[in-house]
Amino acid sequence: MEIENTALAGTLESSDIQIMISKGDGKITIELESDVKKEFGDEIESVIKQTLAASNIESAKVKAVDKGALNCVIRARTLTAANRALGIADKPSWEVL
Amino acid sequence: MLLEKCKSEKSTKNGETMNNEVVDLNLAEPTIFRQWTLFMENRGIINFDSSETRVIDSTIGIFDDSDRLIATGSSSGNILKYIAVSDDESYTGLFNSIVSTLVSRLAQRGIFHVFVFTNPEHMASFEFVGFKKVAQTDFIVLLENGDQTIESYLQSLPRIEGNPKIAGIVMNANPFTQGHRYLVEQALLQNDFVYVFVVSADYSLFNSQERYDLVKKGLSDLSSRVIIVAGGDYIISAATFPAYFLKSNENTIEYQSELDAQIFKERIAKALGISSRFLGSEPFSKTTGIYNRVVQETLEPDINVHIVERKKNDGRYVTATEVRKAIKNNKIDSIEKLVPDSTYDFIKSNLGRLQNRIERGMNINGN
Amino acid sequence: MAENTEERLRRTMMFVPGNNPAMLKDAGIYGADSIMFDLEDAVSLAEKDAARILVYEALTTQNYGDAELVVRINGLDTPFWENDVTAMVKAGIEVIRLPKTESASMLEQLENKIIEVENNFGIPVGTTHMMAAIESAKGVLNAVEIANASDRMIGIALSAEDYTTDLKTHRYADGKELEFARNMILNAARSAEIAAFDTVFSNVDDVEGFMRETNFVHQLGFDGKSLVNPRQIPMVNEVYAPTRKEILHAKSVLAAIEDARIKGSGVISMNGQMVDRPVALRAQRVMKLAKASGLVDEDGVLLG
Repeated sequence: MEIENTALAGTLESSDIQIMISKGDGKITIELESDVKKEFGDEIESVIKQTLAASNIESAKVKAVDKGALNCVIRARTLTAANRALGIADKPSWEVL
Repeated sequence: MLLEKCKSEKSTKNGETMNNEVVDLNLAEPTIFRQWTLFMENRGIINFDSSETRVIDSTIGIFDDSDRLIATGSSSGNILKYIAVSDDESYTGLFNSIVSTLVSRLAQRGIFHVFVFTNPEHMASFEFVGFKKVAQTDFIVLLENGDQTIESYLQSLPRIEGNPKIAGIVMNANPFTQGHRYLVEQALLQNDFVYVFVVSADYSLFNSQERYDLVKKGLSDLSSRVIIVAGGDYIISAATFPAYFLKSNENTIEYQSELDAQIFKERIAKALGISSRFLGSEPFSKTTGIYNRVVQETLEPDINVHIVERKKNDGRYVTATEVRKAIKNNKIDSIEKLVPDSTYDFIKSNLGRLQNRIERGMNINGN
Repeated sequence: MAENTEERLRRTMMFVPGNNPAMLKDAGIYGADSIMFDLEDAVSLAEKDAARILVYEALTTQNYGDAELVVRINGLDTPFWENDVTAMVKAGIEVIRLPKTESASMLEQLENKIIEVENNFGIPVGTTHMMAAIESAKGVLNAVEIANASDRMIGIALSAEDYTTDLKTHRYADGKELEFARNMILNAARSAEIAAFDTVFSNVDDVEGFMRETNFVHQLGFDGKSLVNPRQIPMVNEVYAPTRKEILHAKSVLAAIEDARIKGSGVISMNGQMVDRPVALRAQRVMKLAKASGLVDEDGVLLG
């Protein structure tokens, strides 16, 4: 699946992550801003990628601003942004949860 | 606004998450407006000119347990402004809360590309929350955040291969006249190609789509050497430039012009290989006169600036202002020679609509 | 009444805003008996989808220890509640709290949805418990049918903000305006053998008022209080802690029961009196409270 519309989820509050998803160029690209990018950047990006893969999203541009989010929060915000971008926030795919 | 230390410490005691809610501020209410301005005055923001405040779409705030304002922020279109937070160090996360809430709310309205103009000293705070610098002067930095960037904007523009001589022209073209065309022709005499940037901000009698279309039609015969593009968010219009954070209102045009020129020099011209900029001389407007001077000072020596004497018709300068006046006064026969056929035809067939816009209060004396 | 929930301690039910990662992360560290993740009032309309997914992810990955996990879903009059139920049941939530409950039929509506979701995800039907928040005069007057609405019910709670508004009053420090509702809800809960939860006390800074109110609802017989601030948890626990005398008495009762079991005697007696079921249950509850309050060790030995 491809992302056509931009969507935002999450906040800049402590322990959260702000995820913006927009139209990609055939693959998943991630631009990450995080205080712990050096230590955990790869892990954060891999959680985002796995979450998008679970939603069958193959092309998207992701902009993430991490404020110390746990993996479960990263998954939740990525999925919320993806559902919003796909226009299915009100009728999500329950299998993906 | 003074904050009692003991009170504020209680809100964040033992690392407990502070849960002060972000609320809407109704600035139309004088008590709230006063509380809002007082809070910002104490943080060095003193300009509450109506030209700044009346364009605000939404203002939010955070209060402490004693109903004192401890953080605020506003948005106007896709621009964040009047962001101020308590400098009491026992509060953490206020700035992030404000920016986050503003950005989320704009996203709910479908606005995903957001700008902030601020003092260079605040740049790092915005970078920490995902904003990226577009350009900077000694006094102002412009940052952006969202699903587009100046890089993606520049990448979307047509490029010219090889190593030709390229000029740039910025015009509002409200509407496109023989004067604009003359400026393009002058640039073509000395260059292989010309980029024409049409201002995108919608504060003119002719809206941005109309202005862009008329530029395109008026230069269609030159299309092999002229590339017409929408200036997007990167041509800083005086109409949308927020000056609230500057110490004085007086030099606003200079600050705005310098930032605009800096973006043109550092980002646009570099990316597109533009080596000179053409401007029309300004015999009447003081504002445009200042703009021309500041642009020249900022661009040179990196970019050659040519200020071209304006085209005359029967001994009078051709200006778009003249055209708009004729529309208002219902004397469009008098401007037939001042504009290309395409512009004239458009005016003729849309005269009622244009006059209607003027009657409803559209200012025609600016640019 | 739901099975095996009778003796569970429910002194403190801490509210946690559903869209706040920092608070979701820390919710388990304060020792609340129940944690209530809020998808309703604490979440703005634009963030309902986000909070639902966030709480789902927290529930399926975070360790909240022994706390009973509750989710307050959005009301049946909103477009959100069915998605809330689907996500929360799938996440394996223990209890769904229905806000603004006014009748048994509302709980029936909720239960039908829960059954559908339990079936869809292969969860044994009946796993998910329910509780009701009563927030109106109508709800208070129907408290008995609400408390007895389903075998899934584990408790009912008073929610005083909306209730006092419905009564055309507001909350006062002495709580006199809540007397009738508190007694109705408590008696309805006891008639159904489920828990009764008192309302939140929102002024975190008024410790004296909070203690007065907690002592009062303890005296009435409430299982515990709803809380918005973790700092209130030890204060409630202090009120609910049994006295040394109560513990010694409970230990004697339990010793008499054990004695009768060993002797194979059908009749349990202590001090010449018969120990009946309520006395035995009370003794068990006291020991449970004593352990939870740190007054006895795991083996019931008095500390300090």
